[in-house]
Amino acid sequence: MSEPVIRLNHLSKSFGDVHAVQDLSLTIEPGTIFGFLGPNGAGKTTTMRMLCGLTHPTGGTATIDGADVWKDRQQVRTRFGYVPQRFSLYRDLTVLENFRFFGGAYGVPRARLEARIDQLLGLIDLREKRNTAAQSLSGGMRQLLAIGCALVHDPALLFFDEPTAGLDPVHRQQIWNLLYDLSHQGKTIFVTTHYMDEAEHCMEVGFIENGRLLAKSSPRELKSSFRSRLLEIDVEPLMPALVRLRSLPELLGVSLRSGSLRLYTAEPEQLLAKWRERWPFQDLRLLGERWVEPDMEDVFTAYSQGYDGILKRGPS
Amino acid sequence: MKRRSLEAIASVAYKEFLHIYRDRRVLLLVLTLPPLFTLLFGHAFETGELTGIPSLLIDQDRTPRAQEFIDTIWKNKTFHWRRGSPDIRNVADLLGQGVQAALVIPKGWNESLENGDPKPLLLYLDNSDINTASAVEGSVRESLGDFQLKQRDRMIEELPEEVFELGKQLPVQIRKRFVSMMEMWGVDRNLLYNPKSRVIDYVVPGIIGLILQLLTVTLMACTIARERESGTLYQLMVTSLRRREIVIGKMLPYLAVSALLVLVIMLVSRLHFGVAFYEPFALALICLLFLLCSLGLGLLISAFSRTQTQAIQFSVFFLLPVFVLSGAFAPLEQLPQAVRYVSEIFPLTHFCRAFRFVNMYHAGPRFYADDLVVLMVGAVITFLGAAFLLKRIEQ
Repeated sequence: MSEPVIRLNHLSKSFGDVHAVQDLSLTIEPGTIFGFLGPNGAGKTTTMRMLCGLTHPTGGTATIDGADVWKDRQQVRTRFGYVPQRFSLYRDLTVLENFRFFGGAYGVPRARLEARIDQLLGLIDLREKRNTAAQSLSGGMRQLLAIGCALVHDPALLFFDEPTAGLDPVHRQQIWNLLYDLSHQGKTIFVTTHYMDEAEHCMEVGFIENGRLLAKSSPRELKSSFRSRLLEIDVEPLMPALVRLRSLPELLGVSLRSGSLRLYTAEPEQLLAKWRERWPFQDLRLLGERWVEPDMEDVFTAYSQGYDGILKRGPS
Repeated sequence: MKRRSLEAIASVAYKEFLHIYRDRRVLLLVLTLPPLFTLLFGHAFETGELTGIPSLLIDQDRTPRAQEFIDTIWKNKTFHWRRGSPDIRNVADLLGQGVQAALVIPKGWNESLENGDPKPLLLYLDNSDINTASAVEGSVRESLGDFQLKQRDRMIEELPEEVFELGKQLPVQIRKRFVSMMEMWGVDRNLLYNPKSRVIDYVVPGIIGLILQLLTVTLMACTIARERESGTLYQLMVTSLRRREIVIGKMLPYLAVSALLVLVIMLVSRLHFGVAFYEPFALALICLLFLLCSLGLGLLISAFSRTQTQAIQFSVFFLLPVFVLSGAFAPLEQLPQAVRYVSEIFPLTHFCRAFRFVNMYHAGPRFYADDLVVLMVGAVITFLGAAFLLKRIEQ
């Protein structure tokens, strides 16, 4: 196996008493699409900003290609591209002017720059908008432009902070296709998101909550870490059922999915058998039940809520 | 490496230039206001004298001599006279009369002059602004002095022959002394450095300095704050640009624009007010150092502020004392010593002084070298400070 591109070693960041990131250790291999998942405020952005050398760690270290992300930040900066959460290009400049500025800022030689820009304009499909001011672009196009500008110096590593937040499904898909293309070119991609369905797109996933890493593995492995099959039931009326079931001691948790209730419990078969014998709720009607494959949202819920009963706690 | 750095600075400078160019409304303001302000301020300070102060003249004496005095003082341009009724009771109510001064020739004035016991005239002054009050008083005394001189000359002309005969009997020494005492003792004045008494020549550096200070500090203060507000600062920081490349690149377009404005203001002063400029090289150096110092200050404010609004607020708070205490329009010597030390902190103070040394005194560099040094030190300190504050943003 090759040397990891990114190596986090007990990385921590505190703002006074607030511990945004705590004791984070992980490695990312070259060519991976690594998805960093967690709710808002979990520490995803702070971790990414530390990796980009925008804020210094208060504990531990992180390296990119073996160089320290804080101490050697001037040197590390040419190795990655960074697309922040908020659109952060110059709105009054045109697409082309933004490209040229960042090309100059990253020290791309003049001779190569124009050809590179043209290639990127093709990649993000904005050739026809090259002379449009960035502020006149739609949200999706802006995000594509931001990605393009982060690629101008052809880095081997890319950081994307919630690249699809607030975008429509068409643009979300377009951006993920772009990420696949880049990955296919051999680039390493570090992407944060709070959309659990997007985690399925990643080769590897890290769960973070309250600044701590809960798990890191491939989506397939994470899903197979569920000890049991998941029970989904249809009940009427739905909302009172959700409230009643949540207070049931046998259940670790209940989540609502497209009109059905997904039940987290260590022994779903026993529970179902008991219910078949006698349905305990007079005012609720059980319409049907089925077994489902757990998805990333289930896995994340289980990890973040500490439903140890349904997780195989193996070596992580 | 050197070449790479220059190219990086050029990219930042070009981008910053595009920001200025794209913001048409501010651009229009920046290009039109300085010449307009020059015209406005130039005319405002064209003459330093007070004229046409509304004043009340009350003649209670009503004699030919009083009338003769009135004819003299009526010609004094300091006043815009209005005759008041001699029976007026509340002379002290200047506000009610709508005047700033009232002069009363008291009853029996002529008689008192004839009797060898001259009565004083009565002058009521609005002393809310002490400068105006003392100028008015001086003007009244001047007219009275002129009048007295004319009266004396006439008296001498009309003296009977016997008096001269009598005088000839006095010893020569006493006679000479007497003549000397009767003469007005004069002053032969030599006006140096501004022989034509042109206030505009004194004020021009103040106008240039004030306008440039205002524009450079506020515009520059907004640049980094704007990037911080829009989030582009972080994007800038993850590029391989070094802090000094960012700072220098951001400053260059503003330096070019301000230099252009200096030329425009000088051109307007030259063509419209006939102000002559000497030693272009020395003046250019003084302007350059002053601009660098002001831009550095703007950068410092910019790196310090979180938002553009804050940047503008800090700029205004900084500029307010500068306008009053920098000696741009009035000599610093009017200020108490302790306040003058504060004035020495402001770049504008040194700019105006150095500019006047060159353009009015035609003085050599040794007179203003210390001002140049202060400006240079100011520029270095502010730029280092801005770079340091930018470093703090990263953490």
